[in-house]
Amino acid sequence: MRTEACAKTFGGRTVLSLPAIELAPGRICAVVGANGSGKSTFARLLAGVIPPDGGGAVLPPRAEVRYMPQKSYPFRLSTRANILLSGGGEERAEALMEALQIGRLARRRATGLSGGETAKMALARVLSRPCGLLILDEPTASMDMEAAILAEGLIETYCKETGCAVLLITHDLQQARRMAGDALFLYQGRLWEQGPAERVLFAPERPETRRFLEFYGGA
Amino acid sequence: MWTAFRKALALILSGDRELGNILLVTARMSLSSSLIALLIGVPIGLWLGSCRFRGRQALVVVNRTLMGMPPVVCGLLLYMLFSGVGPFGRLRLLFTVEIMILAQVLLITPLVAGSLETYVSGIAQPVRETAKGLGLGAGKTFLLLANECVYPIFSTYLLAFARAIAEVGAVSMVGGAIAWKTNVMTTAIMQYTNRGDFSLGIALGLILMAVSLLVNILVSLLQRRLSR
Repeated sequence: MRTEACAKTFGGRTVLSLPAIELAPGRICAVVGANGSGKSTFARLLAGVIPPDGGGAVLPPRAEVRYMPQKSYPFRLSTRANILLSGGGEERAEALMEALQIGRLARRRATGLSGGETAKMALARVLSRPCGLLILDEPTASMDMEAAILAEGLIETYCKETGCAVLLITHDLQQARRMAGDALFLYQGRLWEQGPAERVLFAPERPETRRFLEFYGGA
Repeated sequence: MWTAFRKALALILSGDRELGNILLVTARMSLSSSLIALLIGVPIGLWLGSCRFRGRQALVVVNRTLMGMPPVVCGLLLYMLFSGVGPFGRLRLLFTVEIMILAQVLLITPLVAGSLETYVSGIAQPVRETAKGLGLGAGKTFLLLANECVYPIFSTYLLAFARAIAEVGAVSMVGGAIAWKTNVMTTAIMQYTNRGDFSLGIALGLILMAVSLLVNILVSLLQRRLSR
């Protein structure tokens, strides 16, 4: 799947300006970068939540996209009903709840879940149906280590089984290294480095990427 | 003061017919107007709070201005429109409960819409973003947003009812506080107080507070049940 070159300006300041990017099906692409580098804006542009400068679409018109925002909203419904919203069916919802260890919360209203439980519910919600591109913005930020590892396994399985491209926005460099096949490094709203994860996340070419990696977990 | 309270209690317990009539007219007017205002104001509030369109901010400002409209001004406008020489004079609605309800609806609807608009604008963006991320359409997103507003809708209803039952300026102008016809508790309290009949005034005041308490309890119970 190829995203169009796009830019986004807020209040006269260009916060994102990216070239066309190729996302390989069946692979996880990590998007890393410091705060304010434009990662979430990129995700929101791809998901169609905000329009790019000049309008138009960033993705092909028929691309089926699923997106889990950084603060995914728990609707005032039961956990099960929240997961069923995406239309994946009862069986899939049950399997995901069991896999994420939230089966006992199925009938509980989602607005009463803890931060970590809400994140699990939100992840189950986007994973319940196959799609062409799955965008996950910090999906495990509020989960504990055990839950995060569980979630990572589910995302990887989903990616392999459905063959969809996964864009994983994360601050957790170790997570990016564990999961990603490809990686994008954004710096001040621009694409600074891209390529296979083993190069971008382990042996980057540009000094800004190296500095970021050193700061967040050692190059 | 104490004597007036004792007389008031005796009057309530005696089942005075005039008192009963005032109570019925008040209940009819307050319940009808608050419910109609809710039916009109909730969709407006949802729309203003969730949709982004040119002129939205101007409409929000207009609504907030109407929230502060003095009841006597509302009463005066309706009086002019529905009096014998007014454009709607032939409808003969002046000094009826119906025009009192209309006055209340005009006063309360902006409060309902404004209250909902404030709540909805706070949640519309994350709701829309999450729904879009799940591939849900505009209709389903709107229904989910409305479902998020169940709790505030009840609180808003209490606000609307409180305003309806306690309002005096507009209803006295368009209703005329005619005994056995359009006299409601607030206008009756004023009348009896002006006449020096404090007992009936206090009796009505006590009933007004009791009715308000009862509605609050009932709505709060319903709110808690539906929000579980």
